[in-house]
Parts: sequence; C-alpha cells; structure tokens
Amino acid sequence: MRKCGGVILEEKQKQISPFLVFFLVHSVQVGVGVLGFQRIIMKSAGNDAWIAVIAAGISINVAIMIMYLLLNKQQKDLIDIHKDLFGKWIGGFFSLIWIIYWLVIGLVVLRSYIEIVQVWVFPLINIMMFSIIILGLVYYNVTGGFRVVAGISFLGVVIPFYIFLSFLFPIEYANFRNLLPVWNHSVKELSIATKDMMLGLLGFSTLLMYYPYIKHPKKSQKWAHFGNLLTIGIYLFILIITIAFFSEKQVSKQIWATLSMWKIVELPFIERIEYIGITSWILIILPNICLSVWAASKGIQKMFHFHLNKVIPVILILLLFATVAIQGRETIDKLNQYLAIAGLGLVFIYLPILTILSFFFTKKRKGNTGNG
Amino acid sequence: MRLRRQRRRLNKGIEKEKEKEKEKEKDESIESLFQQLNGSNDFTLSTLPYEEHTLSIGYYSTLIDSEILHRDIFPFLKDLDAISSLPTLLPIEEIILTTDISVVRDNLLKGYTLIFDVNNLNLFGLVKSDVDKTRQVSLPEVEFSVVGPKESFVESLDTNINLVRKRLPIPEFVSKELIIGKLSKTRVSVLYIQGVANEENIHTVIQRLTDLDFDQITDSSMITQLIQDNQNSPFPQLIDTERPDRIATAVAEGKIAILVDGAPHGLIGPTTIFEFFSAFEDYYLNWLVASFFRLVRFFAVLFSILATPIYVAVLTYHYELIPKDMVATLVTSRSAIPLPPILEALVLELAIELLREAGARLPTKVGQTIGIVGGIVIGTASVEAGLTSNVLLIIVALAALASFTTPVYQMGNTIRLIRFPFLLMAHYMGFIGVAISFCYLLIHLLKLTSLGRPFLEPFYPPRVQDFKDALIRLPYSLQSKRPIQEQTEDTMRFNGDKAKKKADPKK
Repeated sequence: MRKCGGVILEEKQKQISPFLVFFLVHSVQVGVGVLGFQRIIMKSAGNDAWIAVIAAGISINVAIMIMYLLLNKQQKDLIDIHKDLFGKWIGGFFSLIWIIYWLVIGLVVLRSYIEIVQVWVFPLINIMMFSIIILGLVYYNVTGGFRVVAGISFLGVVIPFYIFLSFLFPIEYANFRNLLPVWNHSVKELSIATKDMMLGLLGFSTLLMYYPYIKHPKKSQKWAHFGNLLTIGIYLFILIITIAFFSEKQVSKQIWATLSMWKIVELPFIERIEYIGITSWILIILPNICLSVWAASKGIQKMFHFHLNKVIPVILILLLFATVAIQGRETIDKLNQYLAIAGLGLVFIYLPILTILSFFFTKKRKGNTGNG
Repeated sequence: MRLRRQRRRLNKGIEKEKEKEKEKEKDESIESLFQQLNGSNDFTLSTLPYEEHTLSIGYYSTLIDSEILHRDIFPFLKDLDAISSLPTLLPIEEIILTTDISVVRDNLLKGYTLIFDVNNLNLFGLVKSDVDKTRQVSLPEVEFSVVGPKESFVESLDTNINLVRKRLPIPEFVSKELIIGKLSKTRVSVLYIQGVANEENIHTVIQRLTDLDFDQITDSSMITQLIQDNQNSPFPQLIDTERPDRIATAVAEGKIAILVDGAPHGLIGPTTIFEFFSAFEDYYLNWLVASFFRLVRFFAVLFSILATPIYVAVLTYHYELIPKDMVATLVTSRSAIPLPPILEALVLELAIELLREAGARLPTKVGQTIGIVGGIVIGTASVEAGLTSNVLLIIVALAALASFTTPVYQMGNTIRLIRFPFLLMAHYMGFIGVAISFCYLLIHLLKLTSLGRPFLEPFYPPRVQDFKDALIRLPYSLQSKRPIQEQTEDTMRFNGDKAKKKADPKK
C-alpha cells in the first residue's frame, strides 16, 4: 500500500481507470433479477410499474451521491472508515454486518441462478457439483486480484449484450396501449413498487470496498451514475416490452416473465432462444458473485489481517454449504426478501447517518488538533 | 525474510567467485589446456620451425575455415618477428592478443586460430577464422505471404540481425547480446529502438534472460517457454515469427525482439492475443480487405473452439433447440449411428488430430498422400459404416480447417488443444458447460500478461485507441500513434495530419 499525505490508496498497478466504475456498478445491478422482476413490481403498480423503475433509479442515484460524499471525504474504504469513527470493536461489528450482507448477495444470486437452471434446463441437476464448478470459476477469478474482478465485470457487460437485442422480437406482438392509462395507481402503491424494484439494484454498495482501487477516484462518480442509468434503461426497456406483450394477469402468473418472453423468438437456425439466454446469463451473474465475494474477503482480510488467498477458499466453502442447504422456492424467496430489507436499511438509512457522522467527527477532530 | 534472501544471494556470489578461481587454477598452464583439447580428435596443434623462431599453431579443424587458414594466415607467418605484430601483419581484422589461458580456450571453441611462439609462452595470438556454414536466406514457409517481402530468418544470428538492421538503418536501433546456456553458450540478441521502446520492458526482458539458468538453448521457442509470464498456460505469450519484416515493424512500434543463434525464428513482446490472429500480410493489403480477413480469422477461431462442443451439447441435451426443418437433416444423418454424440465427436476429433500429426511427422510428399487418404477415404468410410454422421464430419473438418487459419503456428496448436475441455464440459452440462468453459477461458486470458502488460488489451483494459490495429486494421493515416500497450517513450509514429493530405498539384 502506498501512503501519500495520510490518504491510503492502493498501488498504482492494481488500480483501474475511473470509467471502468461504469461497468462495475452496472454489472452488479443486472443479475438474476432482470429475469423475473416484472411480477414483483407489477403486483402493486400494475401498468404504471415503469414509473417505479424510474423512481428507483433516481433514489439509487441519490444513494450513489451520498456514497461518494462519504468516500471522497474519507479517501478510504468502509472498513477503515468504521475503524476511524467507531474504534476497533464497534467499527468491526458494523463492518461484519456489511461483509455478511455482501456474502448473502453472492449466495442469493448463485442460488437463484441454480433455481432457474433447475426449472428451465436441467430439472435433475446436481446442485453440489454445479455450485462447485461455478465457485471454482469465482475462486479462479477472485484470486487474480481486483483488476481481474473488474475485468470480468467489463466482459460480463460487453459480451452478453447481444442478448438484449432478442427482446426486440416480442415487439411484433406487443400492444403498447397496455401502458395506458398512465398514473392509475396511488402514490402508496407506486412507492411499494419502487421499494420492491430497488432490491435488485443494491449490489453497487461494493463500491465502498473498491473505492481505493480507482485511479483518480473523484472522477469516477459520473461513471457510477451513468452505470446506474444504463441499468435503469435496461430494466425500463424490458419492463415496457413486458407490459405491452403480456396482460397484467398473465404477468402475475409468470415467475420469470423475461424468460417467458423469449419463447416467442423464432430464428431460422434456432428455436427456444431462452436456452441461449440462460446460458449467456452465466457471464452476467459471474461478476455479481465475484465482486461480492471479493468485497467480503477483502473486508475480512483487512479486519483480521489474514492472507487474502486463505480467506477466499473459506468463504467459498461457506457459500457452497449455504447454497446446497437452501431448498425450495419459498426459502429462496424469503431469503430474497430479508436481503432486500437489510439492503434498504444499510444503503438508505445506515449510510446517510454514517456520512453525517463522519463529517461531524472528522471536522471536530481537525478542530481539536488545530487548537492543541 | 528479505535479509535472509540477501544473505543467500551474497553467499551465492561468493561461491561463484570461488568456482571461477578454481577454474582459473585448473587451466593455469597452457600444457594442461592442450592436454584437455587433444582429447578430441578434431583439435590440431602443429609446430612450424622457421629460421628465427618456432611458431606453434592450434585450431579445431571442424570449426575453422581452412581457406582462411591457407590464404590469409600461413603465407604471412614467415615474416612474423613477434606475436605482438600479428595485427599489423595479417589481413584479418579480428585478432586478439592475450596472456589469459581462459580467453584462449573460449576463443578456440568459437573458431579462432591460436598462434604462439614456442619459446615465449607469455603472449598468445588468436585469429578469427571461423567457418560460416549456414543455409541461404529462403522463402518463409510457416508464414508465407503472397504480397510483400519473401525473406525469412535462417539459423545464423548475424544473418538474422542483418536482415532486420537493413530495414532499420538508424543508430538508435540497438542489439544487446547475451550468452545463455551453461553447455550451449548460445548467443541471444535483444533488439529494440532506444528512445522508442519502453525502458521498463527492456529491463524486464534483459533481466529475465540474464537470470536464466539453463544448460542448453537450441531454439527460440525454448526461450519463450522459459521467460514468459505464466509458464503453465497453453497460450504462448510471445509471438514467434520467421519474417524479418514483422520483427522490424514490431521493433519500430516500440516492441522488443529476441533473436537466438541457431533459431530461424525471432520472438516479439509484449504482445496481445489479437496479434496472434493478424497475419503480416494484413499490412500489405488494403485496409478494408485486411480487416475483413482478420474478422474471418477471428470467427474461424471461435468456430473452431465452439462448433463441435455445441453439436455435442445440442444433441445430448437440447434437441428442442433445433428448428423443425433442420430436424429431418439431423435425424437422417444420425439415425444409424450407435455411438452417443460425445464419443462420435471425440473419435472424429482424434482422427483429425491423428491425420495432422502423421502428416507433420512424415516427409512432405508422403504427408500429402496421408492427408488425402485419411481425409477422403477414412471420412467417407466411417460415414458409410455408420460410425459417424455426415453433419458432424463436416463440422469437425471445418473446425480443423478453421484452426489452421491462425497465422502463428503455436496459437493454432493451443486452439486445437482447448477444444477438448469444451467438448467434455458440453457432454457433462450441455450449453451451460460450454458457457462455463468459456468463462474459464476468459478469466484465464484476463489473468495472462505478456512481459507484465495485459494480454487481452485493447479489449481489457479497454483502450479505444488501440482498436485501430486489433480486430480490424484501420488505414495507415489513422495509425499515427504507437499502441498504448507498449507504453513507448515516443508515442508518435509520424505526423498524422500531414499523412492525410496529399500533395497533388491542383487541377
């Protein structure tokens, strides 16, 4: 680590250029959620769900702004901020909550993906073997360091992008009148939908860990916002097509409406394009798992001063057991809900408080040293 | 830790010096040296009794050119009054006068002729008279091109450097020579342009080469394996080429080249994966044509890796994927086949590998026959016998053909190898297995570096500027900057604005 003027930043060679934050933020926001978010938000907001998506996007942008306020002020990652503000023990406790949160994100993404594979492709798949293979991928990636993790985030956005073109096929059968009448739901219904929408978008909080790995971190803020915008664009695009393609009642019966939409696509050399979609989706969920596992293991390494390459296998084995232990749709759904509540609390309540506290305390401390 | 390492290094240094001293002691006297050398029959030592003094002359008859000996040395020796006047007497420019026995020994082995006065053993004269037996510069065979120069490297380092230097007649073009190999004492040259090539890259190459501790270097491909960043990767991380024009261009671009004596191939680094798919002919064709062929080659590689695994995956698990019209074709071709898709594919893939290997090991003319016999006879026979399907035969043959489009031979081998894990994973998990193998490949490529520079550049880290010469090749007027990958000291190749203007007289 290089120390310059009290600011702790990582070695230059390990750092990434600021615009890659665009892909880092975007890649963790698009995961398994895209395949089935429609039912959840249309439950309360119906054909006005697109308003909820925009509202969620704006709130996330505000959250990103708050995060950058905190990070630009402190110039270090969350673990160090906690340590400075609350001391070793209480700070460590808060850090541990975040680490568990990130780990559960990785777990939920992996388990939900396996569920989709089970339902759509291989009903009799051996979950143990499948998880071992995917976590092997994660291990291979994360041990390469942050640059490689950022690399898979970049490739995970760029390479599978062709898949979004396939959503143009349902437009042929779409009925855009379904969007009308606009604003026929109450503000309360819309805010519930907004809350539900935000669940899938909260993975960007890993930014709190990789901030020191960004070259000129202050310049990266606009890229983080753009990354979020692209996410919202993609969700909006898929949602509008879903609203136009399905009726509200149909959507309420589709757990994975996006996948169901693919059934209409017909190409001369391929039928059932959802197989291609699910297959390509590996490259989309991989950065999700890698980044959250990286953030968690980096946090543990900083707190307990273990070697990073020893932390990662332990974490992955824990994840493996947890993945195998979770059985059934209800458990996965419940886990998703708890995670969502925890995420909302952490990002929208805890983080602003922490930011205010950090401004307050660092100012005071500076004043003290000035007087003394 | 660091202290201990330093101490170990110090100890090593002291030991080395001791060894050197021992060696010196051993060879202190000329008599013992001659005794050692006389052990081999091609060493000749003869005495020439002239009137004033008696000269002795020694050489390896297999290393020296007898014509030089007879024409340029013997006739002049008669007039020699002292060894110290050898340089003025003989019409040869490289003459060493020394008192050191170890210098005498080393140069005798390099093809020098030893001349000394029997009565005065204090001064030895060494005259360069080595024979230069190498083949003529010939056509490139591995990287043949229809357009462009048709010279290729030969096994002599000096000829090879000459081939490069005549393309870069500037004093900044530097060739640093190193000796590697305890037994082979191979001369290895590092070529670069001072002020263009990145200093750090130069240091990396020279440091890695000097740190090499190996007994015998017989070819440049051994150097690649020994100094590349990840030695356990199937991907070569330095380009090897037999074209001097390619080396010259690479060096001018800010890269570093390594030439090895006795090897008809040079090495280039740092490089990226995309360069392995660019034939040098691309630079001699119009940019549109060149870009098209590059894309074709790139898709050929993807096809070569993915075609058979996808066939296996679809037929094993995802037959719903096949459209109605295509089902009939597949069913008729596969209905009689008793083997599961994976075995069918493995048998055919291995048969193709067998043909290739047999063709490569046999002499050219026999090899061609083998190719025809194997390709046509075995192919049709196995389809008629109902062992493989027509469709798969086409796919496997095309995939093999596609893997041969890679301009760099070593990369072609890699591509044929990595197809097999894909096949096995396709059999195990269908499409998802293929995707997982693809992810492994991507992460592996992300992790690879070439002389410390990212291997997947300009794709990752994304550098838009370097895309001008990666998947496609843009016109030369847009190529005014050197690639960022090389981190060159001087980034401009030429003035881009000037290149765009044409100085035609206006009509």
